[in-house]
Amino acid sequence: MKKLSLPLVIIVVGIIAAGIPFLFSGSNKASLDISINSIPLIMPAAHKVYANPDALNGQYHLFKAKITNTGKKTLENVVVKYQVPGHIEWTEISTTGIMIPGQTIVAVCYPVFNPSVTSKTTESVERANVTVEWEGADHRDIIEESFTFKMLSRNDFAYTCIPSDEILGWGDVYDNDPLLPCFVTPNDPIVKYYTQIVQEKVLKGEAASVTRSPEQGVQFMLGLYEATRMSHMVYSGTKGIPQNLQDVQTLIQHVRLPREVITGNTGLCIELSVLYASVLSNAGLDPIIYLIPGHAYPGFKIDGQYYAIEATGIGGEGLGKISSAQEAYKLGMEQLDEFIKATQAGDPRYSIIDVHQLNASGVISMNLDDNDYLRKKVDEIAENFTPKHQQVIQYVQQPVSNQLADASRFPGPLSFLIPTGWVTYHNPAPGFPLLIAQITSPDMVASVSVYNIPASSAEEAMHQLKQYFSQMGLALQYSISGSNVQGTSANYTTTFRWIGKIAPMSGGYRLVAVGSDNQLYSQYTGVINSVYNSIR
Amino acid sequence: MKRIILFFTVSLLSCAIQAQAPLKQKLEMSIDEVGNGAIKVSMSMNANQWQVWLQSLGNNPALLKRTMEKELPAYFLDNFKLEKNDMDRSFEFSFKAYGICQVNKRGKWIVNTDQKNPDITKLTDNKYMMVWMEPRNNIQQTQIIDFPPTARNIEINKDAFGKTQFEFDINTPKGSFHALFWPGLILSITGIVWLFILLFIFK
Repeated sequence: MKKLSLPLVIIVVGIIAAGIPFLFSGSNKASLDISINSIPLIMPAAHKVYANPDALNGQYHLFKAKITNTGKKTLENVVVKYQVPGHIEWTEISTTGIMIPGQTIVAVCYPVFNPSVTSKTTESVERANVTVEWEGADHRDIIEESFTFKMLSRNDFAYTCIPSDEILGWGDVYDNDPLLPCFVTPNDPIVKYYTQIVQEKVLKGEAASVTRSPEQGVQFMLGLYEATRMSHMVYSGTKGIPQNLQDVQTLIQHVRLPREVITGNTGLCIELSVLYASVLSNAGLDPIIYLIPGHAYPGFKIDGQYYAIEATGIGGEGLGKISSAQEAYKLGMEQLDEFIKATQAGDPRYSIIDVHQLNASGVISMNLDDNDYLRKKVDEIAENFTPKHQQVIQYVQQPVSNQLADASRFPGPLSFLIPTGWVTYHNPAPGFPLLIAQITSPDMVASVSVYNIPASSAEEAMHQLKQYFSQMGLALQYSISGSNVQGTSANYTTTFRWIGKIAPMSGGYRLVAVGSDNQLYSQYTGVINSVYNSIR
Repeated sequence: MKRIILFFTVSLLSCAIQAQAPLKQKLEMSIDEVGNGAIKVSMSMNANQWQVWLQSLGNNPALLKRTMEKELPAYFLDNFKLEKNDMDRSFEFSFKAYGICQVNKRGKWIVNTDQKNPDITKLTDNKYMMVWMEPRNNIQQTQIIDFPPTARNIEINKDAFGKTQFEFDINTPKGSFHALFWPGLILSITGIVWLFILLFIFK
């Protein structure tokens, strides 16, 4: 018996050692801490933005959960799931292979709603459920959280989701403005049909193939205005209600979709702007919506030049005067001048919605189905598009060069005309005194640079400029022919291509160079040549 | 890691984009042993740029914080601190970002760069440097990523979309009691075999 005692002791010690992890597993229980940041509302019109982590840098999501392992146990395969009953089934957001004690994971939910959510015409309160579970988790350990949010109707647009105590200024009150292109629906079959009819019956095919020509673009825009005028479309308001949603106070505007504006034959300024943007985009133009305090008006841009029209000029019999297309265009361009002055002065209340640029950032419009009834309504409206109702669209062509005639002229030797909307900066680079002014296009792609160079010849001036550029890490290549100069300046990522003129002045030479990013040069050729040809 | 570019210099670069040398910005990110990042951004400016920056964001740190939170929606940020040096026209902005590292199903720790083929230089075993250019705002950013001392097998790979990512291992603590299980089991089996031999073979 004595000889058996040693192996028995070994067995007992082994069993105790192997059993300890199980005995103490109770004190090693998993413990997770979770905090959730959710948004107070979802706009169905923007459902594609919420679903896309890359849209607008992923800033629009349903919620963001911060989960920290506060226990002493390492968890494996930690899965975060969510559901929105009635809209989204249980969906996995993230799976983390291991989660060590103290580790934090962040799960961001970009909800993929069914496209049918855009048929929602009333608002509702919805619930989102969130669970966190891991391998071997006891049923009681699984974390379950839920929160509610408001689901607006497809026509509702909330201007901000920033908590009221965080609001700093105008920009915060209208923080959701970049989502406006969600209401611009160029691919809506009804909008396409309307565009075709306007091209056929109002423009008689004149601007049917809109290319990169400002004249054709303006012609088309005037034709669209004329179509809305002939159909007796009237300016009318819709509801805009201030609402308190959790910490957020926002104005929720009911925005009729372009198809509803066309067939309802009525629209508010923002709705008319969205309609114009839809039709202009469908016709191949680059639509812009100008937002100013209490108002919005549409337009487009070509070659760095901006155009606008006062779409509400249609007014309505009950509202007094109905402007002609020319008057609406003139008023729009006057407003655009004021707009540019205000933005130059840094007034944040004046902003641009560049529809295609935002489309490229993931702000995409909703899908809308074809509808025979609405097509018939368009046909009925188009019956007004007759020659007896139509005013002659006496579009006085304003090519870029003529537009420049209205613009201000940069003074001094080698003066030149500054295109409308371009911004002038004097002495923009204090560390580079040769550059006395720079005039940039609104999108900052093209610019005119004015240099005063102390030198005794044009060649010496250019050589000196090249040395300055070199000191700043920029490579300057150029060729001179008489007073004409052309070249490129480049750092290791971008190349700026330009043409210009150089001429003597008191104390040296002046160089005026106009150009743009090399990759975009062809798009700006028109305005670059116009500025170049205006150099005197 | 999403590209962390402090774009608040946008407004001050509205001029002379083509003529000026790029603004230089340094971003240091120190990752701790549980995958969170301590991020420090520093930058110097000329007098004109400094004035514009102060007016827009420098004198409003709360707005700077909100802007950063908006730009980095994939993380939770806290512990913000802004230190300005008016004499040198420079600032240092630091904050903590939770969830910088992801851990995949195989237990590999991952830091995404969100860039394709960035220029990466290995400084030490646990420290890497990336330099990249943000052409629109003409900012050259130098990023230094400092992995925790416990990080092993740091590799530079690509994700399914061709974007570069860092992958590494970290020792996973299993708890001291877990270490006793296998020796205990072996001990028990040894004892049982020994007992069997004594009872049935050498009886």
